[in-house]
Amino acid sequence: MTAAIAVEGLERAFDDVLAVQGVDLEVGEGEIYGFLGPNGAGKTTTVRMLTTLLLPTGGRATVAGHDVVAEARRVRASIGVALQEAALDPLMTGRELIRLQATLQGIPGAEGRRRADDLLERVDLVAAADRRVGAYSGGMKRRLDLAAALVHEPRVLFLDEPTTGLDPVSRKSIWEEVRTLNDEGTTVFLTTQYLEEADQLADNVGIIDSGRIVAEGTPAALKAELGHPHIRLQLEEGSVAQAEEICARIGPLLPPIDGKTVLVEVENGAGDIPRVVRALDDAGIGVASLELVHPSLDDVFVAKTGYHLEKEDEEGSEDEGAVAA
Amino acid sequence: MEAAATLPAWRVNLATIGALMARSRNELLRVPGAAIPGVLAPTIFFLGLNGVFGALTQLRGFDTGAYESFIVPVSMLQGAGFTGAAAGVNLARDIEAGWLDRLLVSPAPRWVLLAGTVLSASTRALIPATFVLAIALLLGAGWPGVDGLLVTYLMVAAMAAVAACWGSMLALRFKSQSAAPLMQAGMMALILTTTAYAPLALMQGWLQDIARVNPVTEVVEAARQGFVGGVTWADTWPGIVALAGLLVLLGALALREMRRTGT
Amino acid sequence: MATNLRVVGALGMRSIRQTFRRPQLIAPIIVFPTLLLAIQTGGAGGAVNLPGFPPVQSFLQFMLAGAMMQSLMLAGNSGGIAMAVDLEMGFTDRLFAAPISRFTIVLGRLAGTAALGLFAALWFLMIGLVFGATIEGGVPGALLAIGLVTACAMAVGGIGAAIALRTGSASVVQGLFPLVLVVLFLSSAFFPVELMIEPAKTIAEYNPFSLVVEGVREPIVSGIDASDTRDAVLAIAGIVVFGLVLSARALKHRLRVG
Repeated sequence: MTAAIAVEGLERAFDDVLAVQGVDLEVGEGEIYGFLGPNGAGKTTTVRMLTTLLLPTGGRATVAGHDVVAEARRVRASIGVALQEAALDPLMTGRELIRLQATLQGIPGAEGRRRADDLLERVDLVAAADRRVGAYSGGMKRRLDLAAALVHEPRVLFLDEPTTGLDPVSRKSIWEEVRTLNDEGTTVFLTTQYLEEADQLADNVGIIDSGRIVAEGTPAALKAELGHPHIRLQLEEGSVAQAEEICARIGPLLPPIDGKTVLVEVENGAGDIPRVVRALDDAGIGVASLELVHPSLDDVFVAKTGYHLEKEDEEGSEDEGAVAA
Repeated sequence: MEAAATLPAWRVNLATIGALMARSRNELLRVPGAAIPGVLAPTIFFLGLNGVFGALTQLRGFDTGAYESFIVPVSMLQGAGFTGAAAGVNLARDIEAGWLDRLLVSPAPRWVLLAGTVLSASTRALIPATFVLAIALLLGAGWPGVDGLLVTYLMVAAMAAVAACWGSMLALRFKSQSAAPLMQAGMMALILTTTAYAPLALMQGWLQDIARVNPVTEVVEAARQGFVGGVTWADTWPGIVALAGLLVLLGALALREMRRTGT
Repeated sequence: MATNLRVVGALGMRSIRQTFRRPQLIAPIIVFPTLLLAIQTGGAGGAVNLPGFPPVQSFLQFMLAGAMMQSLMLAGNSGGIAMAVDLEMGFTDRLFAAPISRFTIVLGRLAGTAALGLFAALWFLMIGLVFGATIEGGVPGALLAIGLVTACAMAVGGIGAAIALRTGSASVVQGLFPLVLVVLFLSSAFFPVELMIEPAKTIAEYNPFSLVVEGVREPIVSGIDASDTRDAVLAIAGIVVFGLVLSARALKHRLRVG
């Protein structure tokens, strides 16, 4: 079975800057592939090359079995694309837009109209279908963009940051739709800055930073690679140094975040919690809070790149993927 | 699950061009007052030039005593130039907004996408042309006859297409609306460095030399025929050839820019 | 008072810097009128042979004043747009909140327009000289023309600023650009009034901008004329007053409405 997307040494240079430096990846048919990375990492550039909007300056790529350079038109006929700046005309109605997309894909006339109606129902935009897109909310626009990308039943769907800037409810509804599409057999290539999105949706994740893939695999495998969970302790009273000494006997310490917290890796996960608590109690050290933290994709990200993708307390909020260098 | 192409390519292309033209119309139909600038500019120029330079007809060498008749075809062509350049500005806006990506990612051939813009401009230019003509006739310009009118409108539609190719080429090259003055100025220069204001014999200096070689002079002369005299094939075909040549040249350049987008 | 002057100076420098830092914005103000000058000189140049045409060395010499007028009016329009953009961006709110006289805000903007007017006057004088026109009034004549153009640029800028303050919208101010053309056509900018066709002729006779044009043109085509100069100065003063009144009322409206 040929891969839905096969990329080999893909490169893109802008003047002297190499935005994408030798990316290799493969996406199987029917897979959801999550392309994860901060702003400026090269995600959008890579997607633009795979969707034939940008010519690579090195390497090769095939999408749905066709070379993106030599057989660009065939690629375009096989893919659906929903790009970051939802490319919608505010003066058109939702229905008109999907019909136009149908015509662009070679399905004009009655068949195009029928598909438009079906898709509008599928993404729950029937009520708003004859209103101008300019009046749609952010979530409605994304749903419309997604529906338009599906009008010709593409084999491969490219979604560039499909839920950036959306509220949690809209985000969940897009996720539902992506899962349904995937169940129907569509391969999905999705770029995102949201760890949760990659974690929840993707069968395979590729982490890109500064134009290179720094890690690839299933979310579970990537996290497991990091090893064990750790316990985060906030002390109530007592000396941090003493607490660290005690915990060090149970498991390796992780670099501290601040002066009042102790982080200790625990081989047995939750099973080690009683040991830690008892040991600290015996020493008269009071614990204000204790948390068992499993490795996250952010930890994977930090391990591979040296910085966080998202600030912990701002995940999924307006502040999209601020990078704490 | 690839959508099989069940319709012949020419039908799909035609439908695509039609759909793109329909989208273009939205701006006129759904934005109040959108048609006004395109109509206002050539009208102001017509009335202004007429009021200011009208006395020129007293000079020997003018075929007509009515300056309105002499310059109305120029104003109609100016309207065409303005409309075509505006189509280029709209394309630049579409590029900035990301709309063009939607079109480029589809399997529609690039020339079809360009044709949508160009034909929209061509048809839209008939609006200011008709408006200016109506005003001119009210002010006493001579009726050009049906043949003269047809030739003039043909020149107007083709000139708008030329201007749209020029504007589109610049839009695709610079990908920004700030190229708008260049789009407008280019067409203005092309149309006015001709026998726009006066017959060739009465022109002065280097402008006379330019007008002699400028292909658009033939277009102006062809468009002007009915208003200052009779329509003959001998005066018409040079204009057609000039426009055809410009269309091929600028069309090719615009298409080349469209294909090069993304390199 | 000293503070106000300093503020005007600072805002003035800002508006001048803004203007000249973006060549694509200046270009239309200089390029279009130059293009039009070339085209009209070459195309309608035979006009000098018309009976009744004032004695001039060449049509180019006649047209220089009109080209300068066109530039300065476009500069005023563009100053108005810049002010409207400041309003839309909220920069003006910051100025309003500061302990400075409100008027300095307008005056500061006008400095940029004046600089453009000055530039335009110099540009067209240079073009004229390069293409063989003589400035009959010599250096004093040239200086007078430059002075009148700069002053008129500020006057028109005042009107532009007033409209910006009143509407707060850059696209409205931009939409008034056709009005600029209309005012120019209905003046003696491009042709002697005596030879214009009605009704443009009568309108041009009463148009204050015609007086300014004549005041700028005389030093170039024949020499400094006291009465023409006086009329031009009075016309500019009238436009200034008009602009000031509009601005004051617009400012009041803006401060009330917020």
